[in-house]
Amino acid sequence: MQDKRKHGCGWFKGRRTFLGAALAAATVFAAPGLHAQQGVTSGEIVIGALGPLTGPFAFIGAPGRDSIALAIEKINEAGGLNGRKLRLIFEHANTPAESVAAAKKLVEENKVFTLILASGSTGAAAAADYVRAAKIPTYNIYGATPIIRTPFAKNIFHSAIPGAEASGKSMIDEVFRAVPNAKKVGVLAGTYAFPQSHLKTIREQMAARAGVELVVEQFDAAARDFTAQLLSMARQKVEAVMILGSFTEAGFAIKQAPEKGLPATTTWVLDGSGVNDGIVAIVGGENTKYLHGYYNVPYFPTQVNDAPMAGFRKLWIGKYGNPPEGRPNLYDMVGYGSMYVLGQAIKNAGPNLTWDSLIASWEKLSDAKPSSMGGVDVIFPETFSATDHQGGRRLGSAAIVDGKWKVVR
Amino acid sequence: MSEFVMVVIGGLAFGAIYALAAIGIVVIHKATKTVNFAHGGFVLFGAFAAYLVVVKLQWTYWAAYVIVPLLIGGIATVIELTILRPLRKADLFTVITATIFIGIGLSEIYRLSYNTEILAMPNPIPGRPFLIGDVILTREQIWVVAGAMISCLIGVLVFSHASMGRSMRAMASNVRGATLCGYSVNRVYALAWFVGGALAGLAGVFAGPSKGVSPELAVSMITAGFVAAVIGGFDSLRGALLGGLLLGLAETFAAAYVSSAMKNAVSFLLLFVVLLWRPEGLFSEGKGRDV
Amino acid sequence: MSERVSERGVAMRRVIMPSVTVLLLTLAGTTLSNYWQYVFTISIGAMVSGAALIMLVGYARCITIASGAMMAIGAYASAIVVLRFGFSFPWALLVGTLFGALAGYVLAVPAVRFRSHNLAMVTLVFQAVTIILLREAKTLTGGAEGLNIPPPVLFGTVITSDLGNLLLAGVAAAAVILPITVLLYGPFGKNLRALAANEVGARAYGISPRDYLIAAFVVSSAAIAFAGALSAPRFRIIDPDSYGVLAAIFMLAYPIIGGMNSIWGGLLGGGVLRILPEVLRPLADYLELIFCALVVITVMYFPGGLVELVGKASRRLRGKGAAAGDESLPDSVEAAAAAAVATVNAGGVREAMMRAMPAARNTTTDVADAPALRIDGMSKSYGALQAVKNVSIEVATGRLHGLMGPNGAGKTTLFNMATGFTPADSGTVWSFGRDIGSVPVEQRLGLGIARTFQHVAIFPSLSCFDNTLIGLGRNGVGASMRRSLDAAHAGGSVAEERDAVMAALDAVGLKALAQQPAGSLSLGNQRRLEIARAIVSRPRIILLDEPVSGVGADEAGRLRELLLAINRELGVTMLVIEHNIGFLLSLCERLTVMSYGEIIAEGAPDEVVATQHVRSAYFGDKAAV
Repeated sequence: MQDKRKHGCGWFKGRRTFLGAALAAATVFAAPGLHAQQGVTSGEIVIGALGPLTGPFAFIGAPGRDSIALAIEKINEAGGLNGRKLRLIFEHANTPAESVAAAKKLVEENKVFTLILASGSTGAAAAADYVRAAKIPTYNIYGATPIIRTPFAKNIFHSAIPGAEASGKSMIDEVFRAVPNAKKVGVLAGTYAFPQSHLKTIREQMAARAGVELVVEQFDAAARDFTAQLLSMARQKVEAVMILGSFTEAGFAIKQAPEKGLPATTTWVLDGSGVNDGIVAIVGGENTKYLHGYYNVPYFPTQVNDAPMAGFRKLWIGKYGNPPEGRPNLYDMVGYGSMYVLGQAIKNAGPNLTWDSLIASWEKLSDAKPSSMGGVDVIFPETFSATDHQGGRRLGSAAIVDGKWKVVR
Repeated sequence: MSEFVMVVIGGLAFGAIYALAAIGIVVIHKATKTVNFAHGGFVLFGAFAAYLVVVKLQWTYWAAYVIVPLLIGGIATVIELTILRPLRKADLFTVITATIFIGIGLSEIYRLSYNTEILAMPNPIPGRPFLIGDVILTREQIWVVAGAMISCLIGVLVFSHASMGRSMRAMASNVRGATLCGYSVNRVYALAWFVGGALAGLAGVFAGPSKGVSPELAVSMITAGFVAAVIGGFDSLRGALLGGLLLGLAETFAAAYVSSAMKNAVSFLLLFVVLLWRPEGLFSEGKGRDV
Repeated sequence: MSERVSERGVAMRRVIMPSVTVLLLTLAGTTLSNYWQYVFTISIGAMVSGAALIMLVGYARCITIASGAMMAIGAYASAIVVLRFGFSFPWALLVGTLFGALAGYVLAVPAVRFRSHNLAMVTLVFQAVTIILLREAKTLTGGAEGLNIPPPVLFGTVITSDLGNLLLAGVAAAAVILPITVLLYGPFGKNLRALAANEVGARAYGISPRDYLIAAFVVSSAAIAFAGALSAPRFRIIDPDSYGVLAAIFMLAYPIIGGMNSIWGGLLGGGVLRILPEVLRPLADYLELIFCALVVITVMYFPGGLVELVGKASRRLRGKGAAAGDESLPDSVEAAAAAAVATVNAGGVREAMMRAMPAARNTTTDVADAPALRIDGMSKSYGALQAVKNVSIEVATGRLHGLMGPNGAGKTTLFNMATGFTPADSGTVWSFGRDIGSVPVEQRLGLGIARTFQHVAIFPSLSCFDNTLIGLGRNGVGASMRRSLDAAHAGGSVAEERDAVMAALDAVGLKALAQQPAGSLSLGNQRRLEIARAIVSRPRIILLDEPVSGVGADEAGRLRELLLAINRELGVTMLVIEHNIGFLLSLCERLTVMSYGEIIAEGAPDEVVATQHVRSAYFGDKAAV
């Protein structure tokens, strides 16, 4: 027994240094074998994308896939980009673990040329480290999280969904547009990632406004009962409420509000994910006068009287048939539009297409919109620069007219 | 004070739905000694079927209240016949795990067939809410509490008195004895699953408008239904009813006066406390014997 | 000596096989591309979870829906010590594992008083509440947005490459899987399975359900937390929702699909199921549904899981015929066992048992000349029914004492009270002059009291050898863990124990069936097995409850000879309940008769049977003489 232990110690020490050296060597020699020109051949450009196709955030990823595929089909039909056709590989990714796996697979196995992050904030945040290290041009089209924005990375670009700060400001502006002298404002925020990042910036921005008190209540994801939060707000007599959450959550909160004592004239300001026709069905059609929101694109998906929107729906139905409830939605429009923006950046980079040339061309884009390539303008034009990779900053103001949402400004 | 009353009413409305789900679980357990972890999936299917009847086919809500329980009861019976009957020869453990995964499978089937985030259903009883002093009472709330309670009571009465209830209770006490008396195990089990499934479907019709049709419904109803059943004492129908109401009230109170995050935690903590302090349930009828 | 050495080699090889397999898989993974190395790394973490769940779900048959929470605790604890205190990765792993163990203990202490669905629900509570707490404790855990995990730091080097991470994971996993294997293969694992198979029988031989289940929860939670801490850096971001109820339920699938009865099932189930989402990417939409369908199909048609499928396939490849371990035993073997003359090789058995149990029993509290068992004024009522009314019996040391009575007389209730399974309403029990009324059931074996059961309480999935081994005692959690360590290298008392067990099996005539699963034996042989288990610990008194019930006349005769021999050669006192009057008459020196909870006669068997009272109780009033 004794000598085994003595023998063991020395054995271990020797191994330890060896192990350390081996690991160091592994680190150095096993860097991912990426090529700055991967995914591009004389006839083809491979685009990789990841997003949740199942799970609670499927309403983001599935439209992402469908709309990007639609845009690519149309671009290819019009002749492709500098003689090359686009090909999409979309991988499902819901949790952070899946996001990292999907990103690795696309970049290292499928060797895509560009990566599109079509996942919500958590997925984008998880992939952030990886894409930063891999240096592949990445288009974050839906994630509002700051983790993918700071520190600034030369290869990461953002689309129509701005950072939380901009959308938070937009909501606050809506509140004071509707109730200019509001003294008590409520915030109803989900406890998951996307609303929490907005909550943080809203708290900061509201603190800067003198004479206005902020009442914050929170709810769990997919909550259906807001008795407690609404009672608290009614107690404190808030005049307007900002809701940070999906339209299902917002809808039930608004529906239950009159039962819990909030006056029917309360102003409700929703974030982008709350602005959805589905909410009209939940709320019941009576209180819609007081619902406001911001919207990331110039039209609401059901504004079929506006030509671009009608045109987009026609394209969508042409490829996918009769849309299920709630589709096409915001994410369909942003995905489609972003793909066109990316297409333009690729086209402008010319026949010698590398990561560097793409990034350089992307940063020069100004007022890029789908119509310059034959598409339908369902997003606000995007502008980039060498120091600013946020393509879309403009947010529309939305209200319910005749039982349907409309972007009015 | 009026706020308190509104909290109570809100709690009762949800509690009534929980009670309905819990009773379905207890019926199945009383007759077959199986705890149906797939019950939430049945409720979800019930809500979905109600949506199809009311929104897609544009029939009245009454049609939904009649058709949906029969439909879901049928589905439950099919599951019992095809999957659980062969498994019953193995141990209890196998049956429990099977029902866990069947429940998730049902949620997934729903999600795949109708991949939207949520389906909203119209108010079954539209109209102005009642105002009693400062207390606001919507018609929907009244309907849910009344309707669910009546369904529960019907279920309890049927089980206690009608012959099928008797056969189920006999089977539960002593399988061999009951078989010797002429009751068929297969028929009794199938019936129990039918009744349990029907009750779940009914719970779904009530839950649809208040909670919306989405996969989350399955998870929230299964946990609430269980907790309610345990609180009431797992083999007591009356207990499940009271347990459901108690749970609804406890959740709403905790959310109103403690914190909204605690709302979820409350149901679980209540379960925990009851299991530790009075494992036979707060309202149970008999004493259990293990050996 | 060389036999001993090779035995040790065999034992050690068996125990390190799972870890070695993991290392080999890791090495195989180094030849793959980065993406697949990443996938392998995650899959190896899942293997550890799978192994842990085999202990809890497969062996102890506890349905746990708390695995997600345990993984989260390991991941968050390790992440927090790295982010806040700059710990290096090995220390972070240790911290994560310890927190997992603590969490397992906190969950288990209240939970283990329940079984089956109630236990499942308590674990569900724990799972849900943990996730809620993680989400609420924003300053500590980053709340819903989660924590950003840096790459692991090992001996001062930052491991960023996929290859480095794979090697790290493989080595760490192999290290953790080793102790799990040792525990599962050794007496600890066997006792867990015994507990799950037959709790009553387990308790009678010193296996405390509470202690063992708590231990199982602690060990498996620690391992699952370890897996969480190991894989966290690969996920970059950990958020509470990744470890929710759905994740916990899908982890339950690892042992079910892999195969519930061996650690290989855990490795296979965890590894395969974790890789499946990557392999089935085109079917991502349907993945969860496919999982559920796989589980249901597995429990319905392939209850042995992947392990059994692989086993069958490899046997077919090797050209072997019928699968080993089939239900039906070749009739000839059983018949031979049945016909074996039940001679107790007195010297051999006694020697073997004395070697195995060298320490003398604690006889200091013995009172000289005290009877082996004295029951004084015991009563028990169930509501209005009085099952046992003020019964007193004295069993002299070395005596063969019978207890007879019609059904419902209260005999088994009396037994249960005397052995501690049922609390008595009143009365006392003494053994060798010592009041044993308050001694818990699990400790009675240590006092020299063994028993058999009316419904045979053997452990069907364990071999006859293992069944008997449990009879030896030393079944406290700590003791069985130490013995498991011994078993891993065939050291310690393993050899002595084996000799004692084989001697006992030989004594009852089951030596040839030592490796057969006990469940495949005929009823008669199962009763013999119970006797073997009862005698192997050299008890001073055995209480036998209907030892020949359901058994043919010939077999009953042979069992009678066996019992007589045991009493004669080993000096064991016996108290025997039976209906079979002929059996009792030919076996016992003294007979007590009960009826309706009371003693109606006691004395020499012939006399007792002849009394009118007994005859009317048994045969009705007009019994012909």
